Amino acid sequence: MTETRHARRRSELLPALGAAPYFVFVGVFLLLPIAVNLLTSVRTPDGVFTLEPLLRLGEEQYRSAFWNSTQLSVVTTVIGGALGLLLAWALATTQRPAWLRDGVLSFTTVASQSGGIPLAFAFVALLGTQGLLTTAIAELTGWNLAETFRLSSFTGLTVVYLYFQIPLMAVLMLPALSGLRTEWQEAAASLGAGRARYLKDIALPILTPATAGALLLLFANAFSAYATAYALAGGGANLVPILVGFFVSGNVMMDYSFGAALSTGMIAVITVAMVLRWLLTRRTTRWMQ
Amino acid sequence: MNRTSTILRIAVLLGAVSFFALPFLASAYFGFTLPGRGFTFEPLMRLATGRSAFWDQLGRTLLLALCTAVVGSALLTSTLLWLHLRARKLLPIAEGLSVLPFVVPPVALVMGANLFFRSIYPGFLTHLLSLVPFYVIITMPLMYRALDSGMLALDLRTLVDAGKSLGARRLRILIQILLPNLAPAMIASSLICVAMVLGEFVMASLLLHNTFPVFLAQAGQDNPRAAAALAFLTMVGTWLLLAAVARTLHTPRRPQ
Repeated sequence: MTETRHARRRSELLPALGAAPYFVFVGVFLLLPIAVNLLTSVRTPDGVFTLEPLLRLGEEQYRSAFWNSTQLSVVTTVIGGALGLLLAWALATTQRPAWLRDGVLSFTTVASQSGGIPLAFAFVALLGTQGLLTTAIAELTGWNLAETFRLSSFTGLTVVYLYFQIPLMAVLMLPALSGLRTEWQEAAASLGAGRARYLKDIALPILTPATAGALLLLFANAFSAYATAYALAGGGANLVPILVGFFVSGNVMMDYSFGAALSTGMIAVITVAMVLRWLLTRRTTRWMQ
Repeated sequence: MNRTSTILRIAVLLGAVSFFALPFLASAYFGFTLPGRGFTFEPLMRLATGRSAFWDQLGRTLLLALCTAVVGSALLTSTLLWLHLRARKLLPIAEGLSVLPFVVPPVALVMGANLFFRSIYPGFLTHLLSLVPFYVIITMPLMYRALDSGMLALDLRTLVDAGKSLGARRLRILIQILLPNLAPAMIASSLICVAMVLGEFVMASLLLHNTFPVFLAQAGQDNPRAAAALAFLTMVGTWLLLAAVARTLHTPRRPQ
């Protein structure tokens, strides 16, 4: 009896052992740091449980940082989502000219992964005070763009974020749009449905979960972006990732608990978005076989 | 399809191309010209020569990219092979963990890592190579998927059984059958990883490691033209890497 039980236990233990390096690695370099972060945000330096750091997130400066980050994320998600959907539609339905479609597709894939410092400086070269477009407009019309438009402002960050949000939406929606079969439209037409009816009753319901899921990913993407905003606005932008960065780099590292609380708040926002996305895409995959 | 929708589609595609191309073109023009001088490498040369930290910091980033690709590939390939062949039950858990970095922004991971390692091993984060495990973590969601789909496409069990029936030992099956067949997926995932590490700024700058993106950010303060030139070269380099990924994955393979 015990022999077989031992044997069975060993046969269950061995598989887990082979995967142990992976689980240990993820544990040490991802799970434990997050756990320590969460714990630190609900403890005083002496180790007593407290909600005070998390409650301080409600203070004016930090509330406005969360508000700014949310606004920036929502605006770039809505505009980027709409334009990205349009682009995905154009990519999915265009057959010719093939060079144009393939060229745009390749550009789209690369742009969706862009961001960070290089993108910020490329936009400075385009729209900064001495930027190419700024000087071109000034020469042609005498109007100085730089007086009304700054890359470090909310509008400026929105334009730069759209550079990766639009193509990201297109890349995410392309499989779903290509999955719409032409037979469905023909079947609907043979039953007497017009184009509008087909869109409203068939295409939209099928695409809704995928679209919502993609929008949530865009939101999370914008909410956690750090490098682009940092390069364009330096410390000037009152955004959550920038504030967390201040606490890490030691400018204000006096208060570990509060820095951890900021970071906990940020993880919480993104977790909500990603859990919603997971729930929605579970439904889509059933349809998109 | 009627004409209006064709025109609209072409217009959308052309509009997208112009928007995507403008920052590229602007950074190339701004970075490689000087007022009244025309095309020149001068801003770039001034940045890369003399007592510049350019080569040092580029070298550090290349070292990090190499180490991350090697460590990430080794860890994920061996784990995934093991899970697919020996422990399929654990696959869902491993996959769930692999997408977790999507929920944790790099800036939050730095915060947690800083708090955690400061308390158990304060010197750890001051080593340049301490970035490698965290880079493996942030590149993991994409690497894991690339490798996993490569393995799903292969029917590993049949390959292993075929090898066994021909009398091959485990090591030989691994080296002569599995790894050659997995090579495209491994190369693609490593290239993705390199592309991400070349652009990673948040963790390096906050943990005070002078990598290439940190150099670029600094250059932007003092020398916008040279920074634009470097930004252009970086974006083109990333593009080439990702194009290579697409090629590796889509070239039809003959079974080996």
